[in-house]
Amino acid sequence: MALASCNGVFDGVYDELPTPAEGDIYIDASSWTKWHYLDLHALQEAVANGQKTEVVIQTFDIPMEEIADYDADSTGIYTYWYDVFGEGLSKRELRSKYPTIRQPEPSQWDLAFHRNNVRTNGGAVWQTPFTYISQLGDHSTFVTQSFVGDTWNETDVWTVQDRMLQGLVGNQRIKINSELGKWLRLDIPPMPPAFTYNGNVFVVRFSDGTYAALRLKNYISPSNVKCHMTIEYKYPL
Amino acid sequence: MSEFVKINIISIALLCSVTMQARQKADDRFYDFDKDTVELGQVVVTGTRTPKTLAATPVPTRIVTSKDIERVDATDIQDLLKQELPGAEFSYAMNQQTHLNISGFGGQSILFLVDGERLAGETMDDVDFNRLTMAGVERIEIVKGAASALYGSNAGGGVINIITHESSKPWSLHVDSRWGSHHSHRYNGMFSVNKKHWSNSLTATYSQIDNYHVSNADNPITRVYHEVYGNKVISVKDQFVVRPTEQLKLKGKLGYYFRQVPRVPSEPERYRDFSAGLKAEWEMSRNDHVELSYAFDQYDKSTFLKAQSLDIRSYSNVQNSVRALYNHSFSNGDILTLGGDVMRDYLLNTKLMGTERTQQSVDVFTQFDWNINSKWEMVTALRYDYFSDGHLSRIIPKLSLRYQPKCNLSVRLGYGMGFRAPTLKEKYYEFDMAGIWIVEGNEQLKPELSHNFNASVEYTKGRYNLMVMGYYNSVKDKISTGIPYYRSKENKQLYLPYGNMDSYAVYGVDVSVCGRWDIITAKLGYAYVKEQLPKSGDVSSVNNQYIPARPHSLNWEVGLDKSFSNDYSLSVTLSGRMLSAVENKEYRDYYDVSQGTISIHYPAYSLWKLMAVQRLWNKAKLSLTIDNLFNYKPDYYYFNAPTTDGLNMMVGLGIDLD
Repeated sequence: MALASCNGVFDGVYDELPTPAEGDIYIDASSWTKWHYLDLHALQEAVANGQKTEVVIQTFDIPMEEIADYDADSTGIYTYWYDVFGEGLSKRELRSKYPTIRQPEPSQWDLAFHRNNVRTNGGAVWQTPFTYISQLGDHSTFVTQSFVGDTWNETDVWTVQDRMLQGLVGNQRIKINSELGKWLRLDIPPMPPAFTYNGNVFVVRFSDGTYAALRLKNYISPSNVKCHMTIEYKYPL
Repeated sequence: MSEFVKINIISIALLCSVTMQARQKADDRFYDFDKDTVELGQVVVTGTRTPKTLAATPVPTRIVTSKDIERVDATDIQDLLKQELPGAEFSYAMNQQTHLNISGFGGQSILFLVDGERLAGETMDDVDFNRLTMAGVERIEIVKGAASALYGSNAGGGVINIITHESSKPWSLHVDSRWGSHHSHRYNGMFSVNKKHWSNSLTATYSQIDNYHVSNADNPITRVYHEVYGNKVISVKDQFVVRPTEQLKLKGKLGYYFRQVPRVPSEPERYRDFSAGLKAEWEMSRNDHVELSYAFDQYDKSTFLKAQSLDIRSYSNVQNSVRALYNHSFSNGDILTLGGDVMRDYLLNTKLMGTERTQQSVDVFTQFDWNINSKWEMVTALRYDYFSDGHLSRIIPKLSLRYQPKCNLSVRLGYGMGFRAPTLKEKYYEFDMAGIWIVEGNEQLKPELSHNFNASVEYTKGRYNLMVMGYYNSVKDKISTGIPYYRSKENKQLYLPYGNMDSYAVYGVDVSVCGRWDIITAKLGYAYVKEQLPKSGDVSSVNNQYIPARPHSLNWEVGLDKSFSNDYSLSVTLSGRMLSAVENKEYRDYYDVSQGTISIHYPAYSLWKLMAVQRLWNKAKLSLTIDNLFNYKPDYYYFNAPTTDGLNMMVGLGIDLD
């Protein structure tokens, strides 16, 4: 048996990464009017403590009522006309807008899902070239990549669909992550809309400096409902 | 997988050892190489593992003294070799990991030693050069050419042995500092005490430089870097010597090294080393000398996650080694050397199959130094190595011959077999390189063998010294990453395997000329090297992960030393180096190697440096350095471009007390 010093003497200097939580998360994100919130930190703590690792998804409605106050950071409903029967989504015009209260959210969350849209809680995302989470190396293989943060958007979070046949859709103006949103792209034409699925692994850097790996495995439920997401995850990396 | 044949040549650049010794004698107004033999008496140990004078050693040895280190104001070994050794080039590999090429040999074939002990740890095949700080260094001995018969694996291209200073004054204190651009600053401190039966030397270095951006022109033809990563280095070394009797000397050493690189400011990389050693030197009799030593060296790499305050280790290399060395001097001056080493090598690497690996190695060697007559001397050596992983073993010979027909003319001939066992990394690596390919270890690797031939002539006349050396080296079964491949048509994951190349060759010539006139000294060093990279049938060239050596390199230096009084002296040195252009075949697109290779032209460049040092009262030193005097900026910062972003002015201050 080797002496302790044979394998080194610095062990006490270093830390161990928390035991990662990993598996699949199922989220029915098909609703037009709700955001679904996921807290990966809480999930990992439960795993580390040996507790039951049931994934808790909290759901909050998108606020629709108009308010008087309006500022640059306001969320709101922006109604666009899209040329859905012609050139498609790329041709659009803003027809009306009004502010709403801020999007309600839990006290702690990491990711929020609305159909094919995703938000991070102050995080940023890098799309890897990998198709398996196991292909990710240690931190040195991804920390120097270009991570993309959330940006304001007023055309993609489709919320109000009652005048859709006229090409008019009410969108929630809110910050979303366009990089992570690449995992499920919506295109018009054709009609009905086509979803394009991207099976690459995405690395999310959260505001506390921790990293998670996510991969969209499926977006259709057994009953053929679109945006019913099956997400493979590992946290922390 | 295809095989490659590689032939290698190695070089030994003996540059002006006589002149450099002479520079220590600043007061010699009318120096004459012919008449002054003191500097030729400088004792060196690396070439034969026995103390021999520089003039008398049959193994061509280049010596860099503490005065040379002070003169070039080097912070670490990288600083020093760039300025002192033509043919030595430091470039980048991967994410700005430093790679050394000396006359076609890289880090796995150039063995770095500190007081004769190996160093743990490597990155992209090279030791951590920042670790080899120059504070407290007595001298550096450079033996180019195969030295495996004395030093074993990894010495096929040469040995660079850093000898630390042993205190001789009752006490001494030295502090110095230097400031330059990019918020660079360096502080050195050395404190020594020397008593009748014991002495102690404590050396500490702190240096820091910030990250800085560099600008590239449009449309680079290969990979460039846009930011030079700085670092923060802390190094503390202590050496304790006890002399209980005239015949016995016990030496203990402790060292700690820490470096932090803010490649990603939120997650800086950290490198640590802890070393310790004990050595006993016993003069059994006038003719018998015994050394026993134990050395411990641990080199770690980690990432500090600032937000979570977690320091996560990904690499650790721990070496424990025991050595015995015995020398017997015969009455006619012949010397017999017997020795052996046992080493345990532990490697933890998250990129390694199995994460942890251990290997034991054992060697024994013998050498006979035969003084045939007053003109001829021959040294022969034989060594046996055994490595437990894969049960590899090998016997390797070495032969050196010195012929001195006149006192100012020496002819040296040498042959050495080089040997390198595959490392644990090369056998068990499994690393996904940023999605380009998976670097794949190869358990079936054979050891690398090389044959090195060299011949040199050294001639001294009056104020001038001339050295010419030629060398040829061939390498069989050179270990390298080979050609990327797909395991199957369906699997689009590329693999880059380690393999044994068929052939590799390198040959070249080193020339040095030195002269000294009154208070002026001049020297010129030139190195020519030609690498013959291996070819194979199905691609035009293997994937050489490093840029080849530049064929031509030139170093020059003109110095002026003038004492105006006992309290004031001035030295001014103008030095520079030029490296020629080099071509290399590389993949057009590393993410799509099916696009094939293209030839990349790496342009030539030259850099100049002007340094003025004023010495006051023999206690204080004030220096002003202008590095990159002509404000050279590369158009493209390719991986072998100099890291300069223009003229850099540095100011230094040093104080000596004793």
